[in-house]
Order: sequence, then structure tokens, then C-alpha cells
Amino acid sequence: MSLSSSASDRKRVAVTGAKERSTTNTPITLSERSITGFALIRIFVGYLWFQQLFWKLPPDFRGLYPYIIRESQHTIIPGYGYILQHTFLAGCTSLSTPAGCTAFVPLAACIWTAELLVTISLMFGLFTRFGAILATILALQLYVGLAYTEWIWTYGMLVLLALALVAVPAGRRLGADQWLAPRLQAAGQQHRIARIASWFV
Amino acid sequence: METLRRGLVAGLLAGLVLAMLDFVTDGTPGRLLPEALHWFGITIADPTISRFAGFFLLIVLGGVFGLIFGALQRERIITIRRALLSGLALGFVWWLVFSLLLENIMSHQAPFSLDFGRFLSTFPIDLLFGVVLGAISFQLQQQRRASAV
Repeated sequence: MSLSSSASDRKRVAVTGAKERSTTNTPITLSERSITGFALIRIFVGYLWFQQLFWKLPPDFRGLYPYIIRESQHTIIPGYGYILQHTFLAGCTSLSTPAGCTAFVPLAACIWTAELLVTISLMFGLFTRFGAILATILALQLYVGLAYTEWIWTYGMLVLLALALVAVPAGRRLGADQWLAPRLQAAGQQHRIARIASWFV
Repeated sequence: METLRRGLVAGLLAGLVLAMLDFVTDGTPGRLLPEALHWFGITIADPTISRFAGFFLLIVLGGVFGLIFGALQRERIITIRRALLSGLALGFVWWLVFSLLLENIMSHQAPFSLDFGRFLSTFPIDLLFGVVLGAISFQLQQQRRASAV
């Protein structure tokens, strides 16, 4: 009697376990409202990056200079300050202006262009995941250099926000990725470049 | 009629997005909202009322552009490509009419005068308005088709 009872218990536990596994592993589908909400968040995060283009405008990118100086002094990774001093700040003679800096303008132009790409990508939902990956890298760099000069989570939140947009294909609503994604996926069956490009929408 | 109604709703929502973007500006919140009043030569002395008025005017203008968007579709079922491209074109018209021509005329400058900073601060946002307008209109069309099936 006890043997048969324990066998049926085991069977019941096994069935319940199997049911639970099948329900907990069910793929999650975002509702139309959720993905549209995420698309709005994407637009506002893109706008956040967009606004930061204006205090370091070309051709001299002067607004960026004090931040590079701060990063070189307060970085949390040993050696990062040394790298900045021998790249961005090579030849610089002043702490307040980029006078004499030989590589500052071309490197600052790269940073500014990268931020412009993030802006376009996130605001227009164009290769959104690529933009989000780029935003993650830029925000990580800010975290490494400036985390301890402000509230510790300021740049940490920027990193997490960008990572959330890497995870969710937020450009497929209210963005160009809605048109791009199915085409790239179809073309990806035959072309490797299209397959790789489809990872970024 | 259906495309007009859809365009109006999409335009109002896209206008709301544009107004919200103009609200979260660097410095004082809503600093850029009175610019919409400036396009029509309206000046309100109270800064708070001026910002509220600018906020609602942007939504109304969005609705007008939405109606134009709807009228251009001529009761057809539109693809996402067509919706986004039509939206982009309307965003460009918005930029040309408001951010360039009316802004310059009301500031007593040459109609097409433009510097890099002003171009960068207005052009992408106005195009974004168009893209959002087209995308919302497409979503509304898809929702209606799904509910009809």
C-alpha cells in the first residue's frame, strides 16, 4: 500500500515538474502595447544622447576637453589615465583649453560621430541594436572615467539603459527596423552579410 | 474618411511625442515650447502659460499634419515602407515650413538662413516627428485590419 502510494506520488511530482518546466520555458511574447512603450523609451534615450551633442560641437569640440581631463584624473581602472594622457591629451599644455593637443580634435571627432550615430540609430529605430551596443560602449567608457566624480549610478544607469535596448528589439515599432527586420531576415537565408546585419535590428 | 481619421489620431500622438521631447530640454523644462507660438507671431508674457500654449499648439499642428498625411493616402492600404517614407517627407515639410521659413521670417532674417547648430537641433527632431506619424498610422491600420478579421 505504502509502496504504491509513494510510486503514485513520484509520478504526480514528475508530471507536475514536467508541466511546470513546459510553462516556465514558454517563450515570452511582448504585447503590442509593451513593444510600443519600449519604442517610446528608445526614442527618449536617443534624445538623451542627441542633447549631449550640443555642448561639444565641432569644429573644436572644446566642451569635451574638461571631461577628458577629469577622466584622466579620476578613472577607476589603473592605466586608463595613462592611455588618455598619451592619446587624447598628447602634447596638451593647459588644463583648461586643448591648446597644443595634437590628437584631441580627431579623437574627439570620433567620439562625437559615435554619439551622433547612437542618436540617429535610437531615435529613428535604424539598426537599433547596433546603436544600443555603441551606446553601451560609450556609457561604459564614461562609467570607467567619471563614475566616482558624480553619483555612482549616474553612468551605471546609462549603461543599463543601453543594455536593455540591446536585449529588446525596440526599433521594430515606431522605427525603420519595422521595415528592415523582415527583409534582412529573408535575405539572411542566402547572404551572410544580411544575416549579420539582421543581428543589429 | 478612415485614412483621414487614422491620420488625425497618428498626427495628434506624434505631436504629443514632439511636445514631450521639447519639454525635456537641457536647462529649464519646456524652454523650447514657446518657439511654436513664435512661428505665428504669438507672444504670451507669462512663461508658464506660454509653455503650456506651445505644448498644445504642437499637438494641434501635429493633428493638422496627420490630416494631410491621411489625405495623401487616399483610402488605400499602405505598406510600412510607404508610411515611413510619407512620414519622412512630411517631417521634412514641417522642418522647412516651421523650423526654417517661419522661424527666420519671424526673427527678421533671410528666409533660408541657417547655421550648423540650428540645423542639427531642429532637422532630426522634425524628421522624427514624421517617422513617428507614419509608423503610428501604419500601426492603427494594422490594428483595424486585425480586428476586422
